[in-house]
Amino acid sequence: MRVLRTVVQLVFLGGVIALMIRGLTGATPNTCETYCPFGGMAAIFPLAKYKMYTCRLTELNVSLMVSLVVLTIATKKSFCSWVCPLGTVLEWLHRAGRKIFGRSFHLPTTADRWLMNLRYVVLAAALGLTWTIWGGDLGFRAYDPFYILFTWGGHGTAAFSVYLAIVLIGAALFVPFFWCRYLCPLGATMDPLSRYGGLRIRRNAGVCTDCGACDEICPHRIPVSQVAEVTARNCTNCLECVVECPEKGALELSCYGK
Amino acid sequence: MKKVIIIPIAIAILTVVAFATVNTYRVPTLDFPFLTGEDRPETVAAVEYVVEGLKCRGTSMGFARMIAQTPGVVGVTTYARTHSAIVEYDPALTDPDVIREAFMAPVERDGQMYQFFRSLSQRELD
Repeated sequence: MRVLRTVVQLVFLGGVIALMIRGLTGATPNTCETYCPFGGMAAIFPLAKYKMYTCRLTELNVSLMVSLVVLTIATKKSFCSWVCPLGTVLEWLHRAGRKIFGRSFHLPTTADRWLMNLRYVVLAAALGLTWTIWGGDLGFRAYDPFYILFTWGGHGTAAFSVYLAIVLIGAALFVPFFWCRYLCPLGATMDPLSRYGGLRIRRNAGVCTDCGACDEICPHRIPVSQVAEVTARNCTNCLECVVECPEKGALELSCYGK
Repeated sequence: MKKVIIIPIAIAILTVVAFATVNTYRVPTLDFPFLTGEDRPETVAAVEYVVEGLKCRGTSMGFARMIAQTPGVVGVTTYARTHSAIVEYDPALTDPDVIREAFMAPVERDGQMYQFFRSLSQRELD
């Protein structure tokens, strides 16, 4: 399972790195934002008001956003742990951090719960400012770690944004998926759909020994051992809990309850 | 755990569908009519260029500025995804080669000359 997911992650990460190198050498005018589904969200307002795209957004961003919506309805936020190149980098940083420090660091539960709502603030700000103050320009991308990392400080990136991106990405060494958990606006977009995602982890209470290994390994701090079915909005179907579970059949994927 | 295969299959199918459907609809990056209403000539021809350097709304605006002063140019519509521009013109006043020379002309910036756009192909539309 872990191998399969890593292969898929490497395909997408390799693709975006190849694109970055081609972009830096002038072989293509396209950048990672050409293929970013969040662009589809940002395009809604200019499309509705002016019947035109803004900035570098194109039909591809909109099509990828529609595909992402369908994927989330079908498989929860599996995009985050299987596709997103930034998610892959943050996951590897998290693993490196655990090896270096011997543990993961977590914010206190109350602070964690409050801070998770920051994603919605970032989402509202990114869309609201794009539609108003930035006059349709994608001002948010200058602060987006995905854009800054995979264009290697591309167009519109200021020195301040680079430092901010380094901090936000580097934070994953200590707190698992810091950017994804607290700030990612694309993750916030998927949240309402993810709760009803068809493919989810189900716990077989008759087999489960309540050892808590699943709770311990879950990078998103979901109490897997305390639920019959994982409906949490932030579950990315990374399946780390299933891999880690010592009891065969205690945790398994269910597809719309089957 | 055979169901795990559903995830990569769904990802692959939806990615292919996303790329396959982009050509089913076309929305411009910039739609800029220079002449409208009574100013618009009765006979209008159109030419499509694929242009190196045409990659976003900002460069589309620059492209529009470069051809706006050419007599006979009626309007421009650009498409960032295909790096293409459709220019409408009055065939009695100008032709595609003159328009191409207009947007490929070098521009002076801070004492240096730059060529921002280069025509890769051109096709007259019916």
